[in-house]
Amino acid sequence: VPRISTSAATALFFAGVLGVVSSLFAAEHAPAFVVIVNPQMPQLSGLDRRFLANAFLKKAKEWPDGEAIHPVDLPQTSSTRERFSEEVLHRSTRAVKAYWQQQIFSGRDVPPPELESDEAVVAYVLAHRGAIGYVSGVATLKNARVMRIE
Amino acid sequence: VSFYAAWECLLCVFAAQTSSTSSTAIQADYGSEGRSEQGGLEQTARSSSSTKSLLERLEISDLLSFEVHAFVSPGYIKTTSNNYLAPNTSNGGSPEFSEIGINVTRSLTDELRFGLELYARVLGTTGSFDARFTWFFLDYHWRDWLGFRAGRVKLPFGLYNEVTNTDAAHTPVLLPQSIYDIHNREFLLAQTGAELYGLIRFGVVGDLEYRGYAGSILLTAPSTVFPIGPTVSLVSFNVPYIAGGRIVWNTPVDGLRGAFSLQTLRFDSKLQLAPAMLAMDEARGIVPAGFSGLFSYRVPAVLWVGSIEYTWHDLMFAAEYSRWYLRTQVSPAVLPETFTIQERLYGMVSYQLTHWLQPCIYYSLFYPDTTLRTGPAAYQHDLSITLRFDINAYWLFKMEAHYMHGTASVESSLNGNEPLSMLTSNWVVLLAKTTLYF
Repeated sequence: VPRISTSAATALFFAGVLGVVSSLFAAEHAPAFVVIVNPQMPQLSGLDRRFLANAFLKKAKEWPDGEAIHPVDLPQTSSTRERFSEEVLHRSTRAVKAYWQQQIFSGRDVPPPELESDEAVVAYVLAHRGAIGYVSGVATLKNARVMRIE
Repeated sequence: VSFYAAWECLLCVFAAQTSSTSSTAIQADYGSEGRSEQGGLEQTARSSSSTKSLLERLEISDLLSFEVHAFVSPGYIKTTSNNYLAPNTSNGGSPEFSEIGINVTRSLTDELRFGLELYARVLGTTGSFDARFTWFFLDYHWRDWLGFRAGRVKLPFGLYNEVTNTDAAHTPVLLPQSIYDIHNREFLLAQTGAELYGLIRFGVVGDLEYRGYAGSILLTAPSTVFPIGPTVSLVSFNVPYIAGGRIVWNTPVDGLRGAFSLQTLRFDSKLQLAPAMLAMDEARGIVPAGFSGLFSYRVPAVLWVGSIEYTWHDLMFAAEYSRWYLRTQVSPAVLPETFTIQERLYGMVSYQLTHWLQPCIYYSLFYPDTTLRTGPAAYQHDLSITLRFDINAYWLFKMEAHYMHGTASVESSLNGNEPLSMLTSNWVVLLAKTTLYF
């Protein structure tokens, strides 16, 4: 049976505690959401908030290089979506829903697809070159590129 | 689901028949990770063939994933006096205030979409649930600043004209009737023709959305001569042209936008004088002897509306002011030609109080003739309050009350052909409507 010394056990204990504390700290201080795009997109470090809002309202349909924008949403019940709507679209999710009802029934457009989780949004963004989405600040991003909002 | 499965099988069989030399297999993967189509359908199709036919190059999801939306809106209307929008509203109320619609849209490529909506309604003596296409179009969105749409397209007039027939898309049951008169839906909801549109960014100054269109309004000709008053009947009716546009300025102030809409069109009709009226005109020498009584009645019209809307989180304020310029051209001159300027305006406030309750209040004013502003028939003041209950994401219920002062928006034909000036000038409209939609 392998044996470990008291000092090693103490170190392991504190390391564990520190890990828990640091993850709690990270979760506490993580941004409410991060905006992500496909890594194959041209080198863009940040996006104008108004452009981002237009992209998610489908008023802007193309990236600066002409690639089609494929926005993707989280469910309406998502707190991450609520924060994104308030901070980027400057509307509540209810107001956004009302906007889409007007678009749908006037034949103008349909809302972006809604995916059920951060993981699904990341997978979608990685699978589509022009895709853009947002996920919670603690989501695993794989190699999706994070965009700064300007 | 069985529909999609059947389609998939059909395509697989067809692909197998057409790919005997390329050993192609099309696989469908419902719910595959990372591939999601709108409407909840997740489908992926892959081909392992090196030489792909057109069918093989198409993904099954491309062929099958349509976006479908629909609504059913039964309603009820009651007035304290004056029948309004439907017969018998002042006598027990009327359920003849309902509509139903279903639309289908599909993106063929990133730039190309098509869609159509089938719609039916009953509103008093109009509708009777005869279904028609509200809109159908092919839309090519080439760049953000330029898109082209052809078909039957809803008219951008003011802020809300395109959604007047969809209860779920606005808070009040009746949008302010001074601008969005429900009687005008047959004529001013959509046009058949073409439209250019786009979004132009001006940096810190904001964005400008524009739409310009031209076409005509195809109307179903009356199958029989239709009396529109005691002295004249409608024989035929059409709108040979309609053209116009709208610009919307999304200002740098978040949630604030202004718009200006301009529209020109002409209503052409053939009218038939009633025999008694015809004899009277003959006796007075207004028409030659032997005149059949059939005459042309044209109304060239120019309409404009200025709009402002401010949305701040759950608060929304909107106001619009409009003038309509209507000229009549009569040939032969059995009636005097006229020129009328109408004035229409409203202010509206709504607030999302909770996730399920949204109150709305507006004041609306309509002058059918700006040179004549006195007497109850010369104006329509409308003070409205609405409670919208969103029971869940697919079901809503609305209650609404209007205090009306004036009779300018009342139809004489629903009130025993009484002159509007003789109807009750202060009256109340009560409405209830529920909508199921997705």
